[in-house]
Amino acid sequence: MKNLIITISTLFSITALASTAQAHEPEQHMKDAEKPNCAAMKDMDHSKMDMNDPVMQAMMKQCMESMHADDEASETPADDQDEHMKHDAPPKDDETAATPDDNHHEKTEASEDKPGAEHSH
Amino acid sequence: MALTKPLGCIKCLSVVAVVIALGGIGFVYSGLYSMGADVPHNKLTYWVLETLRERSIARASGDIQVPTDIDSPDRLLAGGADYNDMCAGCHLKPGQKDSDLSLGLYPVPPNLTETQGEHGHADDDQTQPDQRRFWIIKHGIKASGMPAWGPGHDDDRIWNMVAFIEKLPTLSSGQYQILTARGETRDGHDQK
Repeated sequence: MKNLIITISTLFSITALASTAQAHEPEQHMKDAEKPNCAAMKDMDHSKMDMNDPVMQAMMKQCMESMHADDEASETPADDQDEHMKHDAPPKDDETAATPDDNHHEKTEASEDKPGAEHSH
Repeated sequence: MALTKPLGCIKCLSVVAVVIALGGIGFVYSGLYSMGADVPHNKLTYWVLETLRERSIARASGDIQVPTDIDSPDRLLAGGADYNDMCAGCHLKPGQKDSDLSLGLYPVPPNLTETQGEHGHADDDQTQPDQRRFWIIKHGIKASGMPAWGPGHDDDRIWNMVAFIEKLPTLSSGQYQILTARGETRDGHDQK
């Protein structure tokens, strides 16, 4: 009986410790997560947007992924193929919007000449 | 005769030093110094603590290497979500002037939506702001309310927050909302 109590106590302690260690995992925040309000991007002056700006690239990436997620949730299997083809094509009036990673890649390569290229200790 | 004068001077200095030390110890034990966060330090104490903090951080963060991809969009997205969950309560969001925590903490946490010059901290002339921010996020600051996030977060995740904080003063409320939303797609952007 004493061994049983010790075993249960140990298991309970380990479980509590493990849940504490995961307290700051991003998944823990997902239950309160709000969706990006990408409609706000439509109201922005697109002519003033600098597509080489990391902030703009990040916003585009966020909203593209959000749109894909919404589409996947609402699509029926019949029109699934067509919708994916629409979103995979780059926008006609803004070719940089479809290639944020390319811009980033160029920037990263260019910055590799900087001293201290590796991560911190 | 020639030796008595220097010896007398040393004795005199020793007595003064002992009196100052005893006075200091007596003051500490007297409990007269207010420890309430709603009563600011006097100028001398503030200067001593601030100088101690800034010199310590500058020395400790001097050799930290900044990742070359610190400006990448992925880092901004990952860091933005974490900033919103862990930092915005004290360091505010675009358009927000204060919060219960920013009003009540002492020293007042810097408003990171403002540039370093605007938020009036002693780091206006920092030459290595990224290294400094990384060190502060990772190790925290004693007796200031700033926790050490290092024990629960790896270096890469902390660099993501540094990347986001660097851009934060330039963001509008709408941009902030988009960049910090975790959405439903990518496990809180934590890809880097």
